[in-house]
Amino acid sequence: MRPETDGVPRSARTTWRRSVVQRFFRIVRRVIGAPDYEAYLEHCRAAGHAPALDEREYVAQFFESQGKGIRCC
Amino acid sequence: MKRFGAVLVWGGISALGAAAFGVLALSRGETVNAAWLLTAAVCTYAIGYRFYSKFLATRVFGLDDRRATPAERCNNGRDYVPTNRWVLYGHHFAAIAGAGPLVGPVLAAQFGFLPGTLWLVIGVVLGGAVQDFVILFCSLRRDGKSLGQMAKEEVNPGAGATAMLAVLFIMIILLAVLALIVVNALKASPWGLFTIACTIPIALLMGWWMKRWRPGRVGEASAVGAALLLGALVAGGWVAGQPHLAPLFTHSATALTWMMMGYGFFASVLPVWMLLCPRDYLSTFLKITTILVLAVAILVILPPLRMPALTPFASLGEGPVFAGKLFPFAFITIACGAISGFHSLVASGTTPKMIARESDARLIGYGGMLMESFVGVMAMIAACTLDPGVYFAMNTTPAALAQASQVLGQAGFVVTPDAMRELAARMGETTLLARSGGAPSLAVGIAQIFAGATSSLGGGSRTLDALWYHFAIMFEALFILTTIDTGTRVGRFMLQEIAGHVWPRFAETSWYPSVIVSSAAVVAGWGYFLYQGVVDPLGGINSLWPLFGISNQLLAAVALSVGTTILIKMGRARFAWVTAVPLAWLVTITMTAGWQKVFSGDPRLGFLAHAASLAGSTDSNATRLIFNDRLNTFVALLFMTVVTILIVTSVREWWLVLSRRKAAVLHEAPYVEAGYATGD
Repeated sequence: MRPETDGVPRSARTTWRRSVVQRFFRIVRRVIGAPDYEAYLEHCRAAGHAPALDEREYVAQFFESQGKGIRCC
Repeated sequence: MKRFGAVLVWGGISALGAAAFGVLALSRGETVNAAWLLTAAVCTYAIGYRFYSKFLATRVFGLDDRRATPAERCNNGRDYVPTNRWVLYGHHFAAIAGAGPLVGPVLAAQFGFLPGTLWLVIGVVLGGAVQDFVILFCSLRRDGKSLGQMAKEEVNPGAGATAMLAVLFIMIILLAVLALIVVNALKASPWGLFTIACTIPIALLMGWWMKRWRPGRVGEASAVGAALLLGALVAGGWVAGQPHLAPLFTHSATALTWMMMGYGFFASVLPVWMLLCPRDYLSTFLKITTILVLAVAILVILPPLRMPALTPFASLGEGPVFAGKLFPFAFITIACGAISGFHSLVASGTTPKMIARESDARLIGYGGMLMESFVGVMAMIAACTLDPGVYFAMNTTPAALAQASQVLGQAGFVVTPDAMRELAARMGETTLLARSGGAPSLAVGIAQIFAGATSSLGGGSRTLDALWYHFAIMFEALFILTTIDTGTRVGRFMLQEIAGHVWPRFAETSWYPSVIVSSAAVVAGWGYFLYQGVVDPLGGINSLWPLFGISNQLLAAVALSVGTTILIKMGRARFAWVTAVPLAWLVTITMTAGWQKVFSGDPRLGFLAHAASLAGSTDSNATRLIFNDRLNTFVALLFMTVVTILIVTSVREWWLVLSRRKAAVLHEAPYVEAGYATGD
């Protein structure tokens, strides 16, 4: 069974690997407090509305809100 | 059967921990292996987490997973995002762990390894982790409100303003002390300064990459940044060996002070994506990786502790690193790692906005602080593996060393000039004498542990010492500079808010005249104390670190006062001792230390006595030193007064509520059932 994605055959193992890698990088992003556009898209899907921000706008807003955070001594 | 198994396991852990404490306490004169210290700490943490934090979570706070958290109710996919608890644990730990748990234990090692370790381990279980947990819980029930806002709503508006003012003053002292550590580590060190200077263009490149070139591609930018950072570390060694290049990166402490102030100003004024955020990401990567590697390295080589359990300075109070007896100064010197008021700002900042379920607060708030304490224990081990003579030579100015020479000689804590020269050469430095501040001695300890681990694994040799030393310096300096970036910026926001009450336009955080004036004011505030520390003949650590410790612990007292008030208003007065007991202890140690720093008759300890000893002196610096002593007196008394006002206000509120003269009105967010509980 070789599922097709965007017209390109891709084995289940490759897809699985890619999802593991993506998941790992999302965890790292969240740990270091970096912007995570996927989280915003998930929120929009769950809330039932279209994303109001593209990735560039989201990143800009994210950095602005993070500027008020503090790192401890 | 299951219950019997649990009793057996926890009984075994308790017995093992008790045995480890017994070995540490009873050994006198002989070398103790670090394994005992690690065992005692880990067993205590396990028992504290399993039993005490569970008691806090279920009986005291009544955490309720059916109640929606702010992350669920206010989810915006940006700062309010429900996050897996282990991921958030890492995020919270990275935010609370800075230089404090590394440097405090190193300085407190002048009393021996035992007092500091006991305070780290017992203090965190009964005080520090409780403070973080209670503030996280309170903020969680209030949509992630800050400590100042909670003080304003739950105690009274005056308390809120007092707490905000206390935070601003404390921030200024904190930034000065942290900057002093970096200055002392980088003075006359071309290798160190080159590496740290390179982090600025590297961070700017990362910022441009993430914001402009490939928006949001944090992984790519961080990988490039980390590779360049390691390249800069190696290149630093080459630069230090070049007769034409090395002088460009060899500067005095005074010159570095001005550079630090300039850097702090620009970090506060520039957009966060340009410098602050990328540096923070690099720092977090390095912090988590190095701490994990250090833990493994200590477990691999299990080094012997060469510092005795107790040194003569514990009772004499004439330590060359800083003056004062074990009580109260061991408890002031080690703030982060045992209890740190600064954590209450993080626990009421980003973390409560990301918690998915209320019960996760136990792992993140209580467990996160246990991990920070463990970092403190590792720093203590790294410092105590050094030869005591080397430790004192590195952490003491020549003037302080001369004063303590008799006691050091009697205790056998001596080192020859040749041995120090040889050590400096091994670490790639020209000298390691009088590098007070804790960072360089910790770096030597870490370098020796890493070099020992790579040797025992067959993968390296002791020639790597210099590289490890500068790696450790870079690791410490990087996250100290991150705290300076964020601290100056947060201080600027606070100043703008305060001034905005007088002139509303000043509160606009994007109005550049206000941004520049407030940033310059904050930088001038911490810069003055930094300069004072740099020119202090006894080393600024002697006067500034206790001041920082007192202010940090007083902030913890503010947090515990707010926590106690909320518990009483929740109708949990019978459990108020969980916060009231650590609060009473903190008030005792901070007020005693503050009083001694101001009024002690010993010129090395008391600010006023020191000023009096300089009266009539022909020293050209005497006038300035006298002014600094008086300024420090004012600051210490100001901290004590501000916190006394807040505690008295809180106690009055407790009495009014408990005697039913005032209704217990809580300002919690309304109860909303969690999505998973309603089946959504």
